[in-house]
Amino acid sequence: MKRFSGIVVCIFVLGLFTSHLLAQDVLKLGIPLPLTGTNAKFGEIEKKSYEIAMEEINAKGGIKGKRVVLEFEDSQGKPEISRSIVERLIDVKKQPVIFGEYSSSSSKAVAAVAEERKVPYLVVTGATDDITQQKYKYVFRMNPTNAYYATGFMSFLKEVVKPKTIAILYESSDFGTSGAEDMVKQAQKAGMKVLVKEQYEKGAVDFKPILSKVKAARPDVIYMVSYVMDAALLMRQIKELRIDANLYAGGAAGFAIPEFIQNAKEASDLVVTATLWSPQVAYPGAREYAEKYKKLFKNYPSYHGAEAYSALYLIKDVLERAKSWKSDDIRTAFKATNMMTAFGPVKFEDKEGYTNQNFMDTLVMQVISGKHETIWPAKYASTKYVYPIPKWRDRK
Amino acid sequence: MAQLELFLQTLISGFLLGGLYALIALGMALIMGVMRVINLAHGDFMMIAMYIAYWMFTLFGIDPYISVFIAAPALFLFGLFIQKYLLTPVMKVESILPHNQVILTVGLAMVFSNLATVLFTGNYRSTPVNYASSAWYLTDYWKNSPIELSLSMPWTISFIIAAIITVGLWIFLTKTDTGKSIRATSQDLDAALLMGVNVNWVRMVTLGIGLVLVACAGCLFLPIYYLYPALGKQFTNVGFVIAVIGGMGSTDGALIGGLILGIFESLTATYIGMGWAPAGRFAIFVAALVFLPGGVASIIKKWRLGK
Repeated sequence: MKRFSGIVVCIFVLGLFTSHLLAQDVLKLGIPLPLTGTNAKFGEIEKKSYEIAMEEINAKGGIKGKRVVLEFEDSQGKPEISRSIVERLIDVKKQPVIFGEYSSSSSKAVAAVAEERKVPYLVVTGATDDITQQKYKYVFRMNPTNAYYATGFMSFLKEVVKPKTIAILYESSDFGTSGAEDMVKQAQKAGMKVLVKEQYEKGAVDFKPILSKVKAARPDVIYMVSYVMDAALLMRQIKELRIDANLYAGGAAGFAIPEFIQNAKEASDLVVTATLWSPQVAYPGAREYAEKYKKLFKNYPSYHGAEAYSALYLIKDVLERAKSWKSDDIRTAFKATNMMTAFGPVKFEDKEGYTNQNFMDTLVMQVISGKHETIWPAKYASTKYVYPIPKWRDRK
Repeated sequence: MAQLELFLQTLISGFLLGGLYALIALGMALIMGVMRVINLAHGDFMMIAMYIAYWMFTLFGIDPYISVFIAAPALFLFGLFIQKYLLTPVMKVESILPHNQVILTVGLAMVFSNLATVLFTGNYRSTPVNYASSAWYLTDYWKNSPIELSLSMPWTISFIIAAIITVGLWIFLTKTDTGKSIRATSQDLDAALLMGVNVNWVRMVTLGIGLVLVACAGCLFLPIYYLYPALGKQFTNVGFVIAVIGGMGSTDGALIGGLILGIFESLTATYIGMGWAPAGRFAIFVAALVFLPGGVASIIKKWRLGK
């Protein structure tokens, strides 16, 4: 009797599983991502975020009733491998829409394939300007490009700080130089005078000589493009020299992560930084996603994670709105997108030489009592900005 | 006035930086003088000391300055061990290359930095001490001062400790028997052997002391800088350049050479551009080799003989 009931239970359970599987159609989506190699860290963050989004979507009935199954394919951060992965996804698996990849170079390779095969491709993180400047019809990009990275910061300067002069310090690498060049252009466009533009070798111990020079020039804004350790050293030595500018600003990277505050301590107070996204921004779902990610993986996700998480929701939105899952119908649906995601508003526009590009306000964060707070644009702010900032002498 | 302020502030930074550079170079010069070996793992030994200080701070909350007393003895023992079991045996091996030991130090440097990457990951770390950005200001003491100068607290503490250690080294080398044996070996190896100096023991102690100096430098650098496994190379370079400026193997020369390089780098950063600092470092290195092959030491010698 016992044995019999055991078998019955077994059959019952098995039946449950199979019926569950059969009843629900499955939508398999392949995503190229660098899961090994130097970009693996970012690939990992994105993978986890896609998975969080997948579970949420499946819990609410999937996409058009189909259960979503994501299949991650390791592109090792190499464009040629991304290319062949996507060729297989389109030619063999007949996937109706492509999305994913991390680096600009890989995204560019995928974009070329997608355009050639006439399959819509959503760029999630690649930020090089020219991806959406090639008049590609089937390539859409949800993240702001490099050139628009500082738009939020510039509007904060224009409306709140109103500076006349700026000093720019940057690391002598690709990242530092391009960031500084962009800022020079933006500053000149905004009518600011660049008083000092100095590069430094990464790993420098003592910034006081160039900082003294900055001090002598008395700029309104000090803008720095650095990685985290240099960022902390710079602010510490600025405090040490009591350089009183109206605003201290960092170009994301080193200034936007919690380690900056841990290392620079009170010297990091009221420092402002441009960023694409932050865990406490007031976009719907952003905080919930960030907290969920933190609970699962102990750290807050970077903006790459938020981009990936929102990308799957965007894909769901597009696929549900499309008349059919033929390329051109999906493309039309992409074009008509106007949605709010955890990463921010998404809407694809053709302007200023870009095609199918999402233009959104980037954010500005400020370190307020030892924490990064979103302060700009005002409607997405988590706290009101602190400005003017007190002189070093008057601080505790 | 602003220009004067800029110049003086640059000079202060350069002087403080130079003092710390000198401490790194002292150990290198000592080892070079006694063993005729360029220790190309010098910066990596510093990295090891910094990791010791870092973990002491992170795990037990011990201030990096206190860690001098932990990291220095540890590296002293490590130095004895390396000399006895690695460098001395290599010295006996016949080879077409005259500098087997130098090659060995290059190998050690690679092993250390890779091992550190495996054990501690490549992440940047630092010890966020509370006094990291504290400073003394001229206007706090002299209300009507026309210019404002600042003196960083951790940099100054580091500099003072470096000075104390240097004086300690000088007393050790001139007043103690072991110190005298080290100097004797450095001046004339064969004569020292004939006088009954236990040269192998002297070599062990020298490497130990050289590493003690660089360990101290590491602990003093930690509160004002940060730490990662590949940091050694940069400081080996600094030590080497100073040793050449100072006159290879001369401790007096290393001291002055350190100050020269520190001030030179600061002036370059202020008046030419900070991106030029590494290029400037090598320009002065080449200039020293070409125009002053004996380094600062040769000037000191000439001056002493002239007297």
